[in-house]
Amino acid sequence: MSAAPWSEHLLVETHGPWAGPGCAAFLRDAAALVHAGRRTLVLLVQDGVLAALPHGPGALDELMDAGGAVWVDRYSWVHRGLSTVDPAAGVTWVGMDEVAGRVLDPAVQVVWH
Amino acid sequence: MPMEIPRTDVLITLMGAPHADDLITTTLRLIEAMLTRGGRVQVWACGYATLLTQRALGDSKPRNPGDWSTDYPSTAAVVEALLDAYPDRLFWYGCRFCSDDRGAVDHLPRVRLRPPAGYAANVSAAAKTMLLGVI
Repeated sequence: MSAAPWSEHLLVETHGPWAGPGCAAFLRDAAALVHAGRRTLVLLVQDGVLAALPHGPGALDELMDAGGAVWVDRYSWVHRGLSTVDPAAGVTWVGMDEVAGRVLDPAVQVVWH
Repeated sequence: MPMEIPRTDVLITLMGAPHADDLITTTLRLIEAMLTRGGRVQVWACGYATLLTQRALGDSKPRNPGDWSTDYPSTAAVVEALLDAYPDRLFWYGCRFCSDDRGAVDHLPRVRLRPPAGYAANVSAAAKTMLLGVI
């Protein structure tokens, strides 16, 4: 069997922690990929940005502690009236241009939740 | 003769309903950003996402009583503007079954309706496939 063409994972979370357990489970999936030695980036967008609120789901801390990178879509954050709130430490603000760059990279596999 | 599907960097399979959340806004932002970067993109609209490109939507959304003078473009107008701006790098397909099932029978001229069985050819023509939303 040939090796997968991608060497990096982009996991996109759109639902957020108040929509049910799916968000935390998805973040734990990302952490599992990191623990397996895979380069893994999580993008929080739409209601998914709510996972980056201070004292959000522990799964986000576990992911970042493991070495996973977390991007937060600034547009979604501001759109939800959170412009005066600082997100959890360690996350990175991004716009859609940065996301497009990762999506177009042939080495990046994208999973949308 | 089978329709030729131009090769693209990404196929976005868009299945979310237009007004269930802000998926469509996110998707259109991502499409525009990829095109701005020089990417080649195809969209396969499925389920209620086939409603996005109906000509009956016109150019504008209904007026906003809270902001009467602002023109809000319809999704059809936004998609058409993207197709006008990137005619050789953006391709928009609709699932014929889902479209007919919802009575969405009059689409923008450049939206190509495809049978569900043709989806595999679109996947084959893309270097990467993404599935956004659920039917």
